[in-house]
Amino acid sequence: MKRLLTIPNGLFVVLALVQLLPGRNTRVPDSPAHAIALACVLEAVLLVVTYRFKGVKRRAAFNVCSDVIGFLFGFLIFWTLAAAKLPSAAGSKGAVFPPPGAVIRALVSDVPATLKNIVDSLGLIFQGYLLALAVAIPLGLLLGWHARAGAAASYISKFLSSISPIVYIPYAIVLLPTFRAASVFVIFVASFWPALAGTMSGVLNVERRILDSARSLGARQTTMLFRIVLPASLPQIFIGCNQGLSVSFVLLTSAEMIGARSGMGYNVNNFANFGNYTRVLAGVLVIGIVVTAITFCFNRLQGFLLRWRQ
Amino acid sequence: MDKIAVEGLSVEYEDRNGAFLALEDVTFQVREGEFLSIVGPSGCGKSTLLGVLQGLRQPTSGRALLNGQPITTAGADRAAVFQHYSLFPWMTARGNITFAVSQAKRGSSRRERERIANRFLQEVGLKGFGNKYPFQLSGGMQQRVAIARALAMDADVLLMDEPFGAIDVKNRAAMQELLLSLWEGEPGSGRKTVVFVTHDIDEAIFLSDRILMIAGRPGRVVKEVTTPYPRPRVHEEIVGGSAYFQLRSQLVSLFLDDVRDRIGGEEVVL
Repeated sequence: MKRLLTIPNGLFVVLALVQLLPGRNTRVPDSPAHAIALACVLEAVLLVVTYRFKGVKRRAAFNVCSDVIGFLFGFLIFWTLAAAKLPSAAGSKGAVFPPPGAVIRALVSDVPATLKNIVDSLGLIFQGYLLALAVAIPLGLLLGWHARAGAAASYISKFLSSISPIVYIPYAIVLLPTFRAASVFVIFVASFWPALAGTMSGVLNVERRILDSARSLGARQTTMLFRIVLPASLPQIFIGCNQGLSVSFVLLTSAEMIGARSGMGYNVNNFANFGNYTRVLAGVLVIGIVVTAITFCFNRLQGFLLRWRQ
Repeated sequence: MDKIAVEGLSVEYEDRNGAFLALEDVTFQVREGEFLSIVGPSGCGKSTLLGVLQGLRQPTSGRALLNGQPITTAGADRAAVFQHYSLFPWMTARGNITFAVSQAKRGSSRRERERIANRFLQEVGLKGFGNKYPFQLSGGMQQRVAIARALAMDADVLLMDEPFGAIDVKNRAAMQELLLSLWEGEPGSGRKTVVFVTHDIDEAIFLSDRILMIAGRPGRVVKEVTTPYPRPRVHEEIVGGSAYFQLRSQLVSLFLDDVRDRIGGEEVVL
């Protein structure tokens, strides 16, 4: 029982009670039932974690879950009060600040469309992103390995990477055969520079003793590049790829403005044009959740490939 | 025939203060199967000399010969052990050895490489540690893997640059005996030719057939002594005898002379 007397559990009760207050937002119909349902789902997760995650090792995992869920409860309370229950919710501002219940209702009713958007966007992002990595990593290895080319390339790439990929959009539309190719190109450019810069700095920073050690084994050039320099630079390559992934998601909306008729970014942009902010926020939430999930997978992959580090 | 011959070797460095001479007119030979130590205070150029033998550094004048041929590049015909752990951190202990074997013996099968790696891991007492990454091993264990890697390459020449320099005194003696037992125990006629760089005079006396002392700036050969001890050697039989003390004090006084010269010289500069 003592274990349940925590701040997150207290916030859960407050959140449920807050939903029952009379609503003041006249522009967007609220749905307190949906907000309470979400709160119950989160609380259920919290309870499972409380009773299942025991022992020193899982204590940290429990703490993270508990803190995140506590934060979400606090945030939802604030959101509900500001958007539906306090005087601030009344009047024309209410249209731009829908309460959480309304957003969740929109999310639930749009599930099939949302899934299609996720699939379309991920297809676009992975095509552009993987293409960028496939070019940037080998190129970075070669440029970084030939020290003279690397020095010049690092200045050139700094200059080019400071240009927002959005600038290229008209050129991409003119030069590339389809709108989709232009969209892929925006993602490609966005992730290319960070991946290239990360790879080059990784190669340039490989320790001398590692290179000497490999040379003394009589390693040839290709062995040197792929079995020594590549793994030795992998930590920095991952930093670059991580950055590239973040930028890709930031530019998703721009990329999907070009010619897409679906996708997470298109969806948000489309509803913003129609002034449907309930669905704009729902779309933003979806993007956030997808990005978090992909970052999580990416970090697992990184942890596995870099398992040789302390 | 001399396995290694160094003739009138000078090496010049470029750094921020301009060029300076690290080694000047160094000449010596190493016989096949001989264990030669190069001793000297730090900064005397002994690691530079080993760099030339490894083929990682080019002489400014003079030359270094291996089997009568000038050394121009690094190669798997010379196995190296460095002071600072030079294992590849992304490979396991076994992976480090199989990789080195794949470079030294091109065309060897994976099974053969695994077999060789396991044999040498066992010989350095790390049988159960093949799947560990370097960061999971202590400094001494990493250096044992580095020795196993060098031996597994089965090169005729072993070049060692202060391999036990970063290991504590107690383990160092054990590592020295391990190295000797592996080297002395080589089957058949061929013991490997070893060039062993160290600043530890006791280590040099215990391990070597012959000791070359390098001192000064630029570094020159100032002394050459042959050790009188039969093999196999163990510490208890060698350390403490009167011949040992004589040999040791002779080398130590040369060592100190050089250090005093340098400190004195720097005072003048100041």
